[in-house]
Amino acid sequence: MLKVAESKGLHQSLRKCMIVPDAQLPIPSDTYDLILVVGALSIGHLSPDVLPELLRITKPGLYQNFSIVFAAGLKTYECPPSYNDVIIPEKPKLKFMNKVPNYKKARRWMKRLGDIRGPATQANNIAWGQYAIVALGGGYLHWGHFEMMRLTINRRMDSTTMFARWRVNAPYKPVTRKGLGQRMGGGKGAIDHYVTPVKYGRVVVELGGKCALEEVEPFLSEVAKKLPFPAKVFSKESLEEMVKEEEQKAANNQNPWTFERIASMNMMGIRKVLSPFDLKHHGKFTGKFRVPNRV
Amino acid sequence: MAAVTGRLVTAGAAARRGWLPFQVVVRHGSKAVTRHRKPIHILRQKLLAVTEYIPPKPAVPERCIKPWEQEIHEPSILEKLIRRDVEFTFQENKMIAVFQNNSINSEDLRLLRHRLMKHDIRMKFFPNRVMRSYLTDTKYKNLLPLFIGRNIILVSKEPKTKEMLQIVRSSTQISLLGACIEDALFSRQGVVKYSRLPGMQVIRGEVVSGLTQITSQTCQLLNNGPVLLTNLLEQYLKQQGDAVIGQKESATTEQKETQESQGS
Repeated sequence: MLKVAESKGLHQSLRKCMIVPDAQLPIPSDTYDLILVVGALSIGHLSPDVLPELLRITKPGLYQNFSIVFAAGLKTYECPPSYNDVIIPEKPKLKFMNKVPNYKKARRWMKRLGDIRGPATQANNIAWGQYAIVALGGGYLHWGHFEMMRLTINRRMDSTTMFARWRVNAPYKPVTRKGLGQRMGGGKGAIDHYVTPVKYGRVVVELGGKCALEEVEPFLSEVAKKLPFPAKVFSKESLEEMVKEEEQKAANNQNPWTFERIASMNMMGIRKVLSPFDLKHHGKFTGKFRVPNRV
Repeated sequence: MAAVTGRLVTAGAAARRGWLPFQVVVRHGSKAVTRHRKPIHILRQKLLAVTEYIPPKPAVPERCIKPWEQEIHEPSILEKLIRRDVEFTFQENKMIAVFQNNSINSEDLRLLRHRLMKHDIRMKFFPNRVMRSYLTDTKYKNLLPLFIGRNIILVSKEPKTKEMLQIVRSSTQISLLGACIEDALFSRQGVVKYSRLPGMQVIRGEVVSGLTQITSQTCQLLNNGPVLLTNLLEQYLKQQGDAVIGQKESATTEQKETQESQGS
């Protein structure tokens, strides 16, 4: 502080002394016309016992104005988190995703709806950033969704303190459509557009940087609402918590009859109405939907 | 087979009663992954119903065992700092007087402070929460009821109650609640009485004189007997002397009378 004051060059003399109630300041009496105490006379800083000392060094007879602010309450604030170990990459914004992948030869694919079905195994935890939009259902993302996400997030985030990253690929799966009013038959239709399949639990977009969830959650949830599958904003901790809760529920379930047990032992011939998919996923998923409150 | 026929029989019986589930068999060909939610086969529904999650339930419910949540107020760093201040104040100062603060003007407060400073009485403000937590742990427990509303504490090393009361008398918004002077608690009337007490020197003198009074009396007591005796003897002598003088006088008067009678 003293250096800053020196650089301004406004002061006749700058000194740093400790004001102690009982000892005297190294300043002769009656030197100053005015004493300005900036934010020092409060609980924890200077005690009011220093006032006689301050009175001594001011010239007598002049108006002495003490405005002391008493601590009106005892609200103590938690230390804000320090983001010292967070590095913001060079290109913090979401990059542009192509509408069409550059295949050498554009082949038509089978529908393969299994890429929507079931839980995600690939990108299901937050790797780079701290906050993410996580899909809570299966679906396809096409270029329109990508553009919406990219534009909204790039516009609303602060590129100096935050960075965003895609966690899904650009559309690569071709979707075919026949012309309007065409009759059945005549071969498979032509490729209309490309999509990216997304399963339950997949991280779509990640956000990180020197920011708190409260800053980031508004626009991320805006984006999440517009996606074709149910999605939610998670932080690293909340995602871990969700997973842990599910595990705990499975562990402390009091019901002796579980889907897994009945299905794997084929009790009551229930395999007649179950599929091998149910055997693997224990009734938690039907199609692209996640059945809530299962196990 | 038997199970199937059994089922048909029961289904028939149920149908006759008028109750049958909406979808018994799902036989049309939508794929596994659909945009809509597919109707679930009744058996699968039953399976899902049977295998629902049952949360753990202790024999005695938690709310019967768990005691009422007492807020354990962990003191923050600021509170600890203020508490240290409070401790220091209580150790240092002999007189601690608590006043009710009825929204005094800041200017009046300043004046009051200035006047009190002349007699080396300091004005202290502490948050009630910290004060109460400190007082419950020390011997000053009985000061707790004073620290409820808005208050000011006047502390000084020397118990100068008379000056303090005189100065505070002028301001209406400050009223004395109680004081702790030299580890003794005083109410308002007590403080007033205390202020009327004479100073230390005087009381010491009184005590000393009171104690030595008795010993000073021993000399007098011991002398009492002989003194009384001497007094009595003197009195007796005097009486004797008077009697002798009286006799002589009476003799002289008789002589005079006889002389006079003889003469006349």
